[in-house]
Order: sequence, then C-alpha cells, then structure tokens
Amino acid sequence: MTQNDAGDSPPALRTDQLGRRYGRVWGLRDCTLEVPAGAIVGLVGPNGAGKTTLLEMIIGLLEPTEGELSVFGETSHSPMAARLARVSYVAQDHPLYRDFSIADMFHLGRSMNPSWDQALAQARMDALDIPLKRKVKSLSGGQRAQISLTMALAKRAPLLVLDEPVSSLDPIARLEFMREVMATAAESGLTVLIASHVVSELERLCDWLIVLTSGRVQLAGPADDLIAAHPLLTVPRATPDADLPGVIIQRTDSDRHSTVLVRADPARLAAQQHPAWQADPVSFEHLVLAYLQRPSARAATDDIAQAAARPGPSTKAVSR
Amino acid sequence: MIWVSWRQHRGQAISCLAVLAALAVYAILLGTSMRTAFGNDALTACLAHSQGTACPAAVQAFTNKFGSEVNIAFWAVTLIVPGLIGVLVGGSLIARELEYGTWRLAWSQTVPRARWLAVKLALVTGGLIVLGAAMTAVITWYRAPMDRLTGHLQHNIFDFEGLVLTAYILCAFGFAVLAGLLLRRSIPAMVAAFIPWLAIRLVIEFVFRDHFLAPLTTTVNCMQGGCGEGIGFVPQATGRIGDLVLSIQGNVVTYQPADRFWTFQFIEAGIFVALTAAALGATIWLLHRRAA
Repeated sequence: MTQNDAGDSPPALRTDQLGRRYGRVWGLRDCTLEVPAGAIVGLVGPNGAGKTTLLEMIIGLLEPTEGELSVFGETSHSPMAARLARVSYVAQDHPLYRDFSIADMFHLGRSMNPSWDQALAQARMDALDIPLKRKVKSLSGGQRAQISLTMALAKRAPLLVLDEPVSSLDPIARLEFMREVMATAAESGLTVLIASHVVSELERLCDWLIVLTSGRVQLAGPADDLIAAHPLLTVPRATPDADLPGVIIQRTDSDRHSTVLVRADPARLAAQQHPAWQADPVSFEHLVLAYLQRPSARAATDDIAQAAARPGPSTKAVSR
Repeated sequence: MIWVSWRQHRGQAISCLAVLAALAVYAILLGTSMRTAFGNDALTACLAHSQGTACPAAVQAFTNKFGSEVNIAFWAVTLIVPGLIGVLVGGSLIARELEYGTWRLAWSQTVPRARWLAVKLALVTGGLIVLGAAMTAVITWYRAPMDRLTGHLQHNIFDFEGLVLTAYILCAFGFAVLAGLLLRRSIPAMVAAFIPWLAIRLVIEFVFRDHFLAPLTTTVNCMQGGCGEGIGFVPQATGRIGDLVLSIQGNVVTYQPADRFWTFQFIEAGIFVALTAAALGATIWLLHRRAA
C-alpha cells in the first residue's frame, strides 16, 4: 500500500498534532497521522492508551482539545452532519436498544441516515437467516455484533470504525464477523479502522498499523514498510548499543548473542552491516509487542525526536 | 428522528395515558355524584342570591360529604404526582443512553446529537404539555361544584387548575433530563431531580405564593361566628366566596382577592417554566459542549 502524500482525493484520515485533554490529563497528544483511502488499519494499544479517545474524535463523539482532524476532507470545523456522514461506527459491546426488534433498529437507521441502504441491511439479515421480527434482547452476542455491523454498513459511509469488535465474541463468531468485514471492505472499497487487543487477528487483516501507548503514537504506517524498517539483528553480546544502527526498540541479551530490534533505513543498514551481524525480518506481532513493551511513551517520543534530528537512520515510516 | 423519539417513548406515553384514564374514571365517578348532590341540596339557587350565607346547613352538608375526598385526600396524593411523572419521563431520556452505551449508537448516526436532543425534547415536552392540560381539564371539571363554594385560590385547589399543574410536570422533567446527563444513571437522576423539585414546589406554595402581589385588608365584624379562614369556611371571612384569607387580627382581615387567580397562575407557572427552560438549556449546552 503506498501513501498518498499530495493526492487528488483527500486521505481517509489525516490528523495534525491532535490532542484531547480530560481535566489535567491528556488522553491523547501530538497525534499526527495520514491514512490513505482503502487502507485496513489496525489500531493497537494497551487499555488507557488513548485508542477510544482517538476513535471518538474521528467519529465526532468527542471534540479535540488541540490540533486538526479530517476524515475524507471533513474537518472538525465542518458541519456535524457532514462529518457524521463520513464515518460509520461499530462500538465496543455492540450497543443496541434492547426492546427494539431488528426491523425497529433498521427503521431507526433509515430515519437517522439519509444514505441508508435498506436493501443491503435486509439482504444481510436474509443471508444470516435472522428474522427481522426478532427482538434485540433475544439475540446472541454474535448476532448482536452482526446487527451492529449491518447498521454500520447500511449507513454507507466511506470509513468504517470498529472498536474492539470481537472481544465479546466466541472464536467462531469472531471468524464470521471479521470475514464479513473484510468481504464488504474489499467489495465496496471501504477504509476500515479496527481497534483491537488481538494482535494476531490484526496481522491477518490489516495492511496499515498504528501503535498507541500512554496517549502517544509510537508507530504508524503501512505494515510492510514498518516491517522493512525494523530489522531484527542478531549481534555478539558484547556489541555496545552505540555501535548499532538506528534506534534500538528492544534488546534481549542471551549468553553469547543479543537480539536487537532496531528502527533503521534498510538501505543504510545494508551499507553499515557488520559481517558478524545477522538481520532477519521481524514478525508483525513481535514488532507490535516490542513497541507496546517499551518502558515509557515519553522516552519513545524523545527517541523519535533525536532520530529525526540525527542525520542517521530515516524515520520516514514513523508517525508520518 | 420523529419516529425514533416516538418508538423510544411510546411505552411512557401509554403509561401516562393509563394514569390519565384512571384519573378520569375517579373524576367521573366522584364528579357525577357531587353534581347530583349539589343540585339536590338546592345549593345552586342559594348561591345565586347569596355567598352561601343563606343556606349554611346545606353548604355544610355538602362540604362534609365531599370535602375530605376532594380537598384533602386527593390533594395529598396528587401533590407529588406531577413531579413523579416529570422525573420518570425525564430521568431516563439521556441517562438510559449513557447507562446502556447506546449513546455511541444514537450519536454516531448522521443526525447530529444536538438535533437528536432537540427533536426528543420538543416531542416529549409537547406530550407532557398535552398530558398536563388534559389532567387539568379533568380535575377542573370534576371539582367544579366544590369550587363554587371554595373558589380557586385556596392552596389545594390552585395547584390543580389553570397552568401550574402542567408547569410542575415540565419542571420536574427538565430537572430530571439535566440530572440524567450529569449523573449518567436513570434512578439516581430521578431522585436527584425530585428532591429539589419538591423543595422548590413547597417553598413557593407556602412561602411566596401568598405574597405574589401585596395582600389587601378589610375590616369585618366577626362577632356572629362562622367567620374564619381556610377551606372549611364558606364564605371566607371577607364575606365573598373565593377570596384567600391570609390572617385575621381582631377585625382586620388580610386576604388575596379571588380575581387574582389567573395573575397568580401566570406568575407561578412562569417561575416553573423558567426553571424548566434553564434546566433544558443547560442540558443542550452541556451536550453540545462536552462530548461524551
């Protein structure tokens, strides 16, 4: 997936120095991102990292304290209805009105969305074999998730945001749910943003990755580029950090060798490569976990600032 | 959006109609027998040529028979009913969405949440006004014979006629909607709205209402007896039905004249409508400003 820096059509999502403060605490800060249309984006972070804060600002449920945000060209200064029309949202735990029937839920969707696609909603219920007369409270968790997804898809917005969509589902329902999401995304060219704890799940689905910890973006970019920019080096244990190229993300020392995940420009790295070093591609999951385990968000941000200031390794894929 | 509001509140609408129907049945049963008794006792003819002074026995018989039901028991129960209706409807309006997480669904549709709230508030407020007007009409109809002896300015009568009953409902509703947004829970919001509603309601009734306008004074000769204040005295110490006597000192009577009924209704309803507007305005502002 290539980035669309000066493209003709607006990016699916662009944020610039976006921040949100709750009282004196920042839920999210200095968030600068640009996600191209059509990307399937995984958003990862521990609880309290600011994932929901970011999602809610994208959806329009929360206003930014500072910075800029635009979704398909609609900024936080655009009329609310125009902003809301660009995003559909599947909230965590799939909230629905318990005493409504499915037909009632769809009626609600129809009366609250000018672009509502009733045919799509009905076709999906037929395919899932769920009668429209059923009451929401009589549905299983998996079925509720499907209703939530159907309502989001029938809104016909170009960006689909899913907050922990499968955390409450059993493994079969998870598979079915994500299969539906991916099939529809491929079919209608949706941009999808999925916040999840399940890193392995995201690896299969996502071609774009955002890692958030402590309210800061630690890593963002196309998954392939990020993996290419993070070689996993095996070096003699005695090698000091200062000799290693790029920024050290994680270092694990064993008896004789050290395994070091670094962020470095692949071309530069090839030139700098020491004969005793071995470079392997990092796995998606390893990369994500390494960033999640870094001791402090503040340190990571400082690293990025230093790395950017240094003439050395490029930080092209980071937060841009 | 209108359909959504109707679908979410139709259960409450049906319950309110049930309350209204129960009230109407009670009113028709008691109102009919009261009308019959009023005619039989020849009170109509008596009142036509005096303020009840010509037929004290008939007046007393009538008030003894119906006074406790109409003036005391009914008043005690229904004092809190407008508040209960208001908080029950208002407490859940926003709090339920916050409690069940459905605000994420409701406010992420294309209709902005400001409009969502505006439509809901407009429709529910409209429904409550209709309910309040209907309850007022039923109560006013059924009380009519008694009112011919007591007037409309006595406390327990004033509370159910004219405009104030509707204004009480709206005020409790407005408080509960605001409390629901602040507390994010339906039941605590209902309690938190009801207590200040009742406090304001009682303070206005017992402290301020008698002095909305400066009371008048007159001198009477109370030596013959039967001259007093309160709902049991027909006519009041001023000798006119409908005056509200505030105090009698020697032979000086301080009172509010009967023809101030509508002025007082507008003043009191105005206070409660202003409180409603303040609460709902604060809700709209908070929901617009705070996001989530």
